[in-house]
Amino acid sequence: MQTETMTPQHSAANQRRGKFTLRDLGWALFVIIGSLLAWNEYGANMDVYEDAILAGSAIGLIWLGRFWPSFQPATVVVTLLSVLAIYTYASHGNAFSANEQAFFLKYLISSQSAIMWMNALFILAMITYFLALYQKSEFTGKVATAMVWSAAVFGLVGMMVRWRESYLINVDYGHIPVSSLYEVFILFVVLTALIYLYYEQKYKTKTLGGFVMLVISAAVGFILWYTFDREAHVIQPLVPALKSWWMKIHVPANFIGYGTFSIAAMVGLAYLITAKVAEKNPDSGFVKRMPSLELMDDLMYKNIALGFAFFTIATVLGAMWAAEAWGGYWSWDPKETWALIVWLNYAAWLHIRMSKGWRGKPMAWWALIGLLVTTFAFLGVNMFLSGLHSYGEL
Amino acid sequence: MKQTEMTKNNAVLPRHNRKVLLDFLGSMNLAVTLLVMLSIASVIGTVLQQNQTTQDYIIKFGPFWSDVFNALGLFHVYGAAWFVLVLLFLLLSTSVCVTRNTPGFLKDMKQFSEKLSLNALKHQPNQQSFQTDNPPEAEIAHAQAVLTANGYKTKVHQKEDGSVTVAGLKGRWNRLGYFFTHVSIIVICIGGLLDSNLLLKYRELTGDLVPETRSVSLKEIPQTAWMGPENLSFRGTVNVPEGQKSDVLFLPYENGYLVQKLPFTIEVKDFRIEYYDTGMPKSYESDLILTSPELDEPIVKTIAVNHPLYYKNYAIYQSSFGDGGSLLKLKVHPLLSPFENPLSLETAVNKVEPLKTPVGKFRVELNDFRLFNMVPTTEEERAETGKKFHNNGPSMIFKVRNEQGKAWEYDNYMQPSLQEGRWFFMTGVRTSNAEPFRYLFIPADANRKKARFFKLLALINNPVEANKVFRQSFPKTEDIADNTYELQIKLMQQLLTLFRAKGFEGISEFVNKNVPEAEREKVSDYYFSQTSFALQSLYMDVLKQEGRPITDDQDITDFDKTWFEDALNAYNGLSHYGPPMYFELESFKQIQSTGLQITKSPGKDVVYFGSAMLIIGVFFMFYVRQKRIWVHIQKSSEKDESESPSSEITVAGKDNKPLPETEKEFAAMVEQIRQPIQNP
Ligand code: HEM
Repeated sequence: MQTETMTPQHSAANQRRGKFTLRDLGWALFVIIGSLLAWNEYGANMDVYEDAILAGSAIGLIWLGRFWPSFQPATVVVTLLSVLAIYTYASHGNAFSANEQAFFLKYLISSQSAIMWMNALFILAMITYFLALYQKSEFTGKVATAMVWSAAVFGLVGMMVRWRESYLINVDYGHIPVSSLYEVFILFVVLTALIYLYYEQKYKTKTLGGFVMLVISAAVGFILWYTFDREAHVIQPLVPALKSWWMKIHVPANFIGYGTFSIAAMVGLAYLITAKVAEKNPDSGFVKRMPSLELMDDLMYKNIALGFAFFTIATVLGAMWAAEAWGGYWSWDPKETWALIVWLNYAAWLHIRMSKGWRGKPMAWWALIGLLVTTFAFLGVNMFLSGLHSYGEL
Repeated sequence: MKQTEMTKNNAVLPRHNRKVLLDFLGSMNLAVTLLVMLSIASVIGTVLQQNQTTQDYIIKFGPFWSDVFNALGLFHVYGAAWFVLVLLFLLLSTSVCVTRNTPGFLKDMKQFSEKLSLNALKHQPNQQSFQTDNPPEAEIAHAQAVLTANGYKTKVHQKEDGSVTVAGLKGRWNRLGYFFTHVSIIVICIGGLLDSNLLLKYRELTGDLVPETRSVSLKEIPQTAWMGPENLSFRGTVNVPEGQKSDVLFLPYENGYLVQKLPFTIEVKDFRIEYYDTGMPKSYESDLILTSPELDEPIVKTIAVNHPLYYKNYAIYQSSFGDGGSLLKLKVHPLLSPFENPLSLETAVNKVEPLKTPVGKFRVELNDFRLFNMVPTTEEERAETGKKFHNNGPSMIFKVRNEQGKAWEYDNYMQPSLQEGRWFFMTGVRTSNAEPFRYLFIPADANRKKARFFKLLALINNPVEANKVFRQSFPKTEDIADNTYELQIKLMQQLLTLFRAKGFEGISEFVNKNVPEAEREKVSDYYFSQTSFALQSLYMDVLKQEGRPITDDQDITDFDKTWFEDALNAYNGLSHYGPPMYFELESFKQIQSTGLQITKSPGKDVVYFGSAMLIIGVFFMFYVRQKRIWVHIQKSSEKDESESPSSEITVAGKDNKPLPETEKEFAAMVEQIRQPIQNP
């Protein structure tokens, strides 16, 4: 079939492995200097755990940049824009109201503007991806990919700036923006987009873009409703239970899980549609343009495996945090319990695939249903069940 | 008869039976079934609210279904026998699975399978054969070099026929991944069981343990509800007022609780809450002193949410807070008395005060005291102050219960709060927990006090004084007949009594009852104006007593006018206020209590250890791929001895989890082995 579409870049990777190029060196220096500057600027507010998290993030970022070089320029742009925003606030006397006055902030990179740009770009990207699929246009596909990159950059800038803004509004309010339902939705769309971009680049699967953007656009729809109807974007202080460095690692780890599970579900959807069309008309242009069924099946597996690994970490971290904040590592709180359900569900998925060798359609359906389970754990629990995890009630 | 048959059967087929049983226990089908069962149980546990009272369930599901659900253990899913059974089976199944698979996997990790015959190699999932012009010795070295460069460990095997197999193995840790993840499940389950209440369940079954369901003092709790140091693991709470100590803990258990004796004493020096400017709590902190016979020096530490105190295998957490018996100084204003004679009362939160009054005997239950009451600001206020919340100041919550047991619950504020530009003392009342408080707004006088309010009220309640005031402010003139004047005064008196008893509503009721329909409107208009007039004259009198010479309406300030309207509203509402008493909070000394959660959790470290294994294992399993390559090298047979020696090579590969890229990678490996050797 279309095995050529999935040429892994292994030979290139092999050549690169071990050798430390000038670019790698520059990248490492950039991350190290950036982290040191950040530490110098904000270190006074950080405890020893947060120092460790910063160091860990720096190491992780260096690794990630080497593993996935395209992430490097994106990081540089995010850094520059965030610094520009912070600098602009500083030059307006660090008043939060500067986001209504300074041009850059008002129209581009105050957290609210950046997030709005992100929202718009994600929706446009979805349309563009489908247009590319319809037009068979490679160029249109590239435009769509560029849009996703820009949206992710805007999302990251929005988060960085929001982090700073929380301190500008009131030093007491300051916190990393992963604490409210609104904030984690942004984290979710950004992480999902980035993970998707990685796979798109590695396996040349632009035709899957529209499908993945479906779930992202749905989340964007939620963000918009949440912003305009509920004013959820207003920065609120943290409840005492969330004031912990654990939050900085527990929440992002969780959302890598949610992101990959969503991608797996959308690839599953694409799989099911492609398989259906192929049954009726094996020579259809649509089927030709989509990645091979085999590749999509493998992508589902890869995403679920990655998500499962991170979700495991997140759940364990959550248990450790719970032990410190609530006095017990496991309380059968609805959120905890649903995390377990999600985890068991994907453990069963992986087992069936491993042992019974199930592939294709049933696994695609299962991945799709898995998204329902995941969505309930993410949103439904907050909407319908009450418990200790009441940070983001609707 | 039957029994012998069965034993016979068992004797004949024990091995077979055991194997079937083990196969079943270690089967993936059972594992997946158990995982699904656990998930479903967990769904039930979250959708059905757990550990509520029987009453609540009956209201929700009716007596029949709540009985059925209860019998199925659905109201305590995570403690239900069948749930624990599923967990145990999972433990068993995973253990069997691990014991069965591990030896094979260990072998697989160590083996290079270098002895496989050429034929076997040709049956591997990937294989390719070709010839080169290099002598076998050079090819062996080359193959080894290529494999090593690609991260394989190699083993060379010389066969009897002179051919050589270079076997490469990479990513053997993958197999450890299986071992780690599955053993970790067992470890985590064991840790969880250590922390479970299995032992308590057992003791309850044997009748050794009876949870307490009443709320009584410690002394009255029977020994059967006490737990000593033999309790391996627990998680309970205790409220300790500032300045006091505790060496016991309350463990919620089924529908009641158990008392756990602690091997140490906790003293609470101080408890503090800080607030954000939004009124949300920002932090809770308790200063603790832990003393124990085993300690030379007591441990002094401040705990806060997310910052517990660890002592041996105990952990002490900040979990809640409440009132620890704040001292309250009250003034009880009788609302029907013709004189201002408030009663002073010194009491404390959590106390019950008997109260003997002319209108009956009551019990006052002081339930809570709140130092801060944060409420959202109105739009105008927000525009003015920029704050989203403001503090309405201290309030106390208490119940007044009459002799028949009927209770009214009150929420009385100490300080006036600003409403639409005026200051009011708020007092809320309700007769059931299910209702919200209905608030009565007592207008503050010019001194921001309630003095004028009670003065006017006493006057309204005092027919003799009122009579005097009426006659003074409404002197008889020549053109009014004596008996008309007396009737008029009497009417005003009566209207006042009606108003006091039931407000304006009472007057309407009176009219509806006693006046023919045709004249009702006219009469009630007249009555209302007369009532207002009566009240106004009393009010004028109060103003005069305050030292204001008032001759006509012009002298009444806007403040006094609105005050009067607000006061009438409040008097009007008094008829729905319950027993005729108003409890004024004069002063207080706050004593808070901190809610501590104390746990002893021997399983915690076991669970953490298992979790670490799990994470490591998952990464090995997913991100270390176990791969094998065999390079079989043989001297070419067709060639002449005279020609330079050449080799016949077969490369075979196997990935223990084939991926789409496996083939590509294999092809790339073959290509590297095939490439001309640089330095022969
Ligand atoms: C809570 C219980 C269990 C969990 C969470 C769990 C989890 C997992 C996971 C995540 C995998 C990885 C699948 C993959 O590589 O894609 C796996 C593999 C496997 N599991 Fe389980 N498992 C559990 C119980 C069991 C039981 C009871 C058995 C016994 C039949 C079993 C047998 C296996 C086997 C044979 C593999 C494949 C290992 C390999 O070839 O690498 N598991 N398990």
